[in-house]
Amino acid sequence: MDSEIQRQGSRNGYHGDQQSLRSRQVSSRVSNQNYPQFNWSSTPAEDDVEGSSEMPRDLRSSPLHMALKRAVRQVQQMQVPVVSSRESWKRNKAKSLRKLKDNTREFLYLFALWSKSLQKIGGNFGGGVQSFFLFLRFLVVLNFVSFLLIAGFVLIPSIVFRSVGTGLVNSTGPEECMEYDPNPQGLVLFYNYFLDLLSGTGFMEYSYMFYGYYNNTMVDDTNFSYNIPLAYLFTAVFYFAFCLIFIIARMGTAARVAVATGGSAVGNYSMIVFTSWDYGCLGDRATKLKQKNIHYRLQVRGDLSYLAGWRTLRKKWWRFLIRVTCFQMNLSPTSFLFLCQVDLEEEMIKKRAASLTTNQKVVLYALRVFMCLVAFGLIIGAFYGIFLATEFSQEKSGKEGILGLIFEYLPSIVITAGNFLVPLMCDQIALIERYAPSTTVIVALLRAVFLRLVSLGVLLFTLWRQITCDGNTESAECKLCEYNYNFYPCWETRVGQEMYKLTLFDLLINIAVLVLVEFPRRMVVDNWSNKLAQWVGRQEFVVSSNVLGLVYGQTVVWTGALFCPLLPLINTVKFIILFYCKRITLFNNCRPALKTFRSTTSTFFFLVVLLFGWSLATVVMVYSLAEIRPSMGCGPFRFFPNMWSIVPRSFSSLSETTEEFLFFIGSQAFSIPLFVLFCVVMCYFIALASVYGKSVALLRAQLKLEGRDKQFLVKQIEKLSRQLQIPQHTAGAGQ
Amino acid sequence: MGNKQTTFTDEQLEAYQDCTFFTRKEVLRLHGRYRELAPHLVPLDFTNNPDIKVPLTLIVTMPELKENPFRDRIVETFSEDGHGNLSFNDFVDMFSALCETSPRELKTIYAFKIYDFNRDNFICKEDLRKTLNKLTKGELTPEEVTLVCDKAVEEADLDGDSKLSFSDFENMISKAPDFLSNFHIRI
Repeated sequence: MDSEIQRQGSRNGYHGDQQSLRSRQVSSRVSNQNYPQFNWSSTPAEDDVEGSSEMPRDLRSSPLHMALKRAVRQVQQMQVPVVSSRESWKRNKAKSLRKLKDNTREFLYLFALWSKSLQKIGGNFGGGVQSFFLFLRFLVVLNFVSFLLIAGFVLIPSIVFRSVGTGLVNSTGPEECMEYDPNPQGLVLFYNYFLDLLSGTGFMEYSYMFYGYYNNTMVDDTNFSYNIPLAYLFTAVFYFAFCLIFIIARMGTAARVAVATGGSAVGNYSMIVFTSWDYGCLGDRATKLKQKNIHYRLQVRGDLSYLAGWRTLRKKWWRFLIRVTCFQMNLSPTSFLFLCQVDLEEEMIKKRAASLTTNQKVVLYALRVFMCLVAFGLIIGAFYGIFLATEFSQEKSGKEGILGLIFEYLPSIVITAGNFLVPLMCDQIALIERYAPSTTVIVALLRAVFLRLVSLGVLLFTLWRQITCDGNTESAECKLCEYNYNFYPCWETRVGQEMYKLTLFDLLINIAVLVLVEFPRRMVVDNWSNKLAQWVGRQEFVVSSNVLGLVYGQTVVWTGALFCPLLPLINTVKFIILFYCKRITLFNNCRPALKTFRSTTSTFFFLVVLLFGWSLATVVMVYSLAEIRPSMGCGPFRFFPNMWSIVPRSFSSLSETTEEFLFFIGSQAFSIPLFVLFCVVMCYFIALASVYGKSVALLRAQLKLEGRDKQFLVKQIEKLSRQLQIPQHTAGAGQ
Repeated sequence: MGNKQTTFTDEQLEAYQDCTFFTRKEVLRLHGRYRELAPHLVPLDFTNNPDIKVPLTLIVTMPELKENPFRDRIVETFSEDGHGNLSFNDFVDMFSALCETSPRELKTIYAFKIYDFNRDNFICKEDLRKTLNKLTKGELTPEEVTLVCDKAVEEADLDGDSKLSFSDFENMISKAPDFLSNFHIRI
């Protein structure tokens, strides 16, 4: 340090001023003790009454050696002065609260599923892959807790009160509407049980699995009453609200980290050097790969500045370097697109875009619009295919045997095929569109999300069309019961069955792909030393498509939960199986990716996509609750005009004031002012957030400016000192 | 559970709980890990605060630290004598500072200490050069290393003294989204 300053000083020629500058710098170094020291003088009595809970927090976060920390703690404990009984009570309460929090944390660690597995995955494959498995674990917990909710309020009371209870509404409807006999007739062959298990018909249809089995009864004892339909409805609504709160709470923690770091994607040198090494990295292979990654990033960064002057050669050098590095690291060209650092390609493309003539720009934009339309057309084509498949499958329902099973599963097959083929073709389209890499990734992801969620919507729309005869309740088939009672004596069960089939098919396809595609690929690549095999290479674990699969599965469960109450339990088991399958394939068949996902922002993104799925399911649920007439032959809501009408009817049994109060809350006189209030509060928070963001940016700019000011002042001092020195020298030389 | 073990007194465990981010069970588990590094050196009974230090060469054989290029610097930073011999207090301190619940500010302080090889409270170009060489294990040519060091200092240095003080380092780290998740050892 000192030698550098001396060098500066000798360069500028005036030692004396530099001396004072150096001493000023030295003194600043000493006084600026760099990190926050522990404040010995602060005692709990001087702080506010929360001092006792703040003391441990400060001590834990202070950068002292352990022996010092323990000494400080002892001193602080001895320093507890005589306080009033109220203060000491508050302090004791705070201490016991902290103990309780610590004990709960220890207790919850017992239930932390798979933590060792996740640690191993994170160490060997990086944060991006680990965030996928963390997301999967979150969904398992969410589904299991939802199942406990449903079991507690709907399933167990139904089982217990099965034979007891009085019917709620005694009215009857037309005879044809109430015909519903799902029990199979005659002798049932053994393999039919298996087929029934796969398609949810037969012995499974009239069971606690589906909506149709639950009764329209209410138990009314002397001091205990349980209204099963009301419980069913409220549990369904609460289940959705609970999932929303869970997801938003988790988003909050992820968003806080993402916002605090400013979200800048620029990987400049200092960040690469200081923050790129993953301290949790385990294993020999992962370490070597990490080193190569850092080396590659620095080289790619370095290339631009190295050849800054060689404009004509730059492109050739870049291509050559990438090719060489690919070869060195045994990477396949297909993963090339994932390799290029965002900032490098972005710069190149920006430069290229800026250098286009107006003519070329017009052509490019026209091409992009056209390709967008083509992609949209492909997606619409997939939707039409799903529509046709669903109609065909519903017409042919009731067929026996394996062919019948295939017809049952036709919508699932078409949806899965569409979800696989259309993104592939969209990738090819993206190559023609020539967006910047970050834009390409975002566009591809948006298209995939749109495809998956809306294809589910198309399936549901087709079902709705058939159930309600295109929404026309006056048409011949739907006139009698307001739904198509010929085909759908119990339409809710049928919808539940479709969702059940989708879930099951998803799991079967995942296992089939694992066994039939991924393991053979690994065996071929490892044992067959061929150029083709090497070019294909071992597969990479693509996080984004796996996450979309999870979101799709969860959306199906949310949509079907109203009609198939056991679906969350099935989904829990499915996701647990999926966890182990994905882990097996990860460790045995995949190689680590060179480009790693940003794990902090990706968690937030996964949850946003999950919320899209949730909103689709909510729309479906609200529509089913409010608009369609429930089946008259089955279920807890028969004979009601719609599912929601049980709520006002049950309220009539409450006391007068409660009823009036609840009606007031539901009326417009209350909800509109409440909505306005929420808008005002939200505007306030948005304004606050933007003000904080602006002040952070201003402070950063100010910090930079102060540094520049100091540099400028130092230069001025040097200039001045030189001016003062030169007359002296000329005077000296003259003599 | 707490009454059966004889490794620590209750008072000691409370002190560890207050001074680190670990719970009682985790402290006991850490003691087990510390003991397996040198079973003949480390006693089972810590109730009278024995003054035992495990040397650097044994600590860096731990699987969590073995592959880390900065393992020597990490252990030296947390040792009281500065030579990498860790007592159990230092051992617990080290893993507490690097654990998941440790706050960003604390991690930044220790990261700065780790990367400051000559311990002068500044990260100069020489420190950066050593960091880079440990990171890339000598795969970069010397002129590339110089280039990267110059660029890194240029980007992060705010007060223009061509080395990074703690505030420069802290400012640069606050913009790095991966720092918190990368600077984390799970034990």
